[in-house]
Amino acid sequence: MADRILKANAFTTFDLLEGSVEGHGFTEKAPAVLNVRTARRDPDDVTLELELDNVDLDSVPPHADRVTLSSAEARTLATELREAADRIDETNRAGDDGERV
Amino acid sequence: MVIGAAHVLSHMPTKVERWKDEAYGMEIRDHLERFASEGFQSIPEDERDAWFERFKWWGLYHQRKGQESYFMLRVGTPMGRMTPEQLRTVGEVAREYATGPVDNPEFGEAYADFTTRQSIQLHWIDIEDVPAVFDELESVGLSTMQACGDSWRNIVGSPVAGRDADEHVDVWPIVQNLHDRFKGNDLYTNLPRKWKVAVTGDYRGAGQGDINDLAFEPAVKEVGDESAEGFNVRVGGGLARKEPRFARDIDVFCRPENVPAVAAGLSGLFRDYGDREDRFNARMKFLVDEWGPEKVRSVLQEEYVDYELPTAGEDLRDEYDYNAGRADAPGDYVGVYEQRDGQHFVGLSVLVGRMAAEDVIELADLADAYGSEMIGLTQRQNVIVGDIADEDLSAFLEEPLLEEYSPDPHPFMRGSIACTGTEYCSLSIVETKNRMVRYARWLRDNVAVPEGVEDFHIHLSGCTASCAQPQIADISLRGMKTRKDGDAVEAFDVGLGGGLGENPRFADWIEMRVPADEVPGYIANLLETYEAEREDSESFRSFVAGRDESELADLADPEETSYEDPYLANTKMTWYPYAEDDAMSASPAPTDSNDEPLATDD
Repeated sequence: MADRILKANAFTTFDLLEGSVEGHGFTEKAPAVLNVRTARRDPDDVTLELELDNVDLDSVPPHADRVTLSSAEARTLATELREAADRIDETNRAGDDGERV
Repeated sequence: MVIGAAHVLSHMPTKVERWKDEAYGMEIRDHLERFASEGFQSIPEDERDAWFERFKWWGLYHQRKGQESYFMLRVGTPMGRMTPEQLRTVGEVAREYATGPVDNPEFGEAYADFTTRQSIQLHWIDIEDVPAVFDELESVGLSTMQACGDSWRNIVGSPVAGRDADEHVDVWPIVQNLHDRFKGNDLYTNLPRKWKVAVTGDYRGAGQGDINDLAFEPAVKEVGDESAEGFNVRVGGGLARKEPRFARDIDVFCRPENVPAVAAGLSGLFRDYGDREDRFNARMKFLVDEWGPEKVRSVLQEEYVDYELPTAGEDLRDEYDYNAGRADAPGDYVGVYEQRDGQHFVGLSVLVGRMAAEDVIELADLADAYGSEMIGLTQRQNVIVGDIADEDLSAFLEEPLLEEYSPDPHPFMRGSIACTGTEYCSLSIVETKNRMVRYARWLRDNVAVPEGVEDFHIHLSGCTASCAQPQIADISLRGMKTRKDGDAVEAFDVGLGGGLGENPRFADWIEMRVPADEVPGYIANLLETYEAEREDSESFRSFVAGRDESELADLADPEETSYEDPYLANTKMTWYPYAEDDAMSASPAPTDSNDEPLATDD
């Protein structure tokens, strides 16, 4: 079997997420590594990298995906993630309130 | 032409390169002594990253989160070779200074780690104690200089060089020469990254040159009617960063007297052409990837050596058996072996390379009492006692200490290597050494050893940094996480069938995220299949090599057994995995030299 593409250590952003891959005619689930990375030297962009465990995938060859974000794009993503997380928290709080009533 | 180090530093690209430019090398000693006298808190908080990076050059690594103010200290012993007096000093330093707020449940209060590069690591060192530790080590000729950092690291090779009855060239004088020449040498103080060198003179391949930046490998060169003994040169090996490489042959034969010139040339070439703009890309293996061996050879010839380099001689690799997974020879130095002079060296198994400080001292005294002049640390984290006279051998083998550190251990207690893990290391994501000890004991007590198997190599690494060399073992375990019964638990990716030897091979990765408590069951099932399906005395490595991916995946499944794992939860998040209250918030660090918490501004 192929080795992992992405390294995984204590500085990896997430070493255990639930991921899925979807294509025409297939959908597979697998554990995933998700990492945020910047160059050590004068970074001018952010790399977001994702790899699903290849042993759990039959439909695609072992690989990792990367997207490059400018600082503005990274902030846009961070803002959207934060807002989405806030919505989850609000929903949970509402649920809590409901139970207390 | 040799280009001075200053020439290549004009760009100063990375943060680490800037720190190194401000202060690095020998001068760090003065700063260390100043901080030691003024205490940990005298290191300005906003400068700590820079100072901790620089301290590495003097062998000090700051320990991980939750253990602030404590350091790991590494002593480099060339080829793992020491005198009993030096070993005793290591034990005494460990007993006196390598103690922390909490004992380790398997190894007690103080211990020493023997590493895969034949060095010694001590933990829980307070900076206040560093000058005293340096004094004690240096009083017997030991040093921490360049044990870490971007420079010539500890040179590895067979510790029994010159004593081994089965060797091509005695490399000990060569290695001593290299050690003296390249330690503290301003020209090579500041390299783009670490520089690991192996010098092998035996027929066993015990230097493990294939995984080093620079390897001198035994060879013979026919020149006219003369047959010259020396070395072939390989460069650019290494296992880290998920980018393992075996060192590549640059078609150079080197006579013993030319080793320093070729070593200087290649480390100078690395200094000048290695990538200082990206530390991830800085190791020699990536320069060899980029250039190819032919260009490395031509640049070495044209710019760094002033004699004509001969082409490679005939190597002796077909005889290599060290960590080679062969069925016909042991892959380590454990056991009793005859020396050239008729005396014996005795290799003792040290499970995961960790020995209690009191045992280190006892072993040193024992060696001294039996007239040994040589202790050797091996790359398999074991220890050798040399020079045991024929008439003393039986008595030595009867010594009680050898029940714990046996020259004839159970196969599952013999071949295990583990890195530091979450106990101290900031990179690791799983607990390692104590877990490997528990794995080995469980396997010993519960699993039948396949017939003829004497040493079975399990290498357990806490992350992809590969410090336990996980790619070159019968069974490779590399730390990961998985979910079990709804909880995130420590786990391992599992590889099979790696090893060195004539034709080195990296492991095939077969399983991902096996929960740590199901690994022993997986190994038991795997060995049962191996025993049932192998042909005659086929080695495990050969058994794996003969199967394709799907066959390997079908060999065994993970399984819960009677094995219990006390470290399943996320030990990375503890301040110390074995503390009664292991929550990060319960950490006493940073502490003073008496392990008492320092007052903070909080």
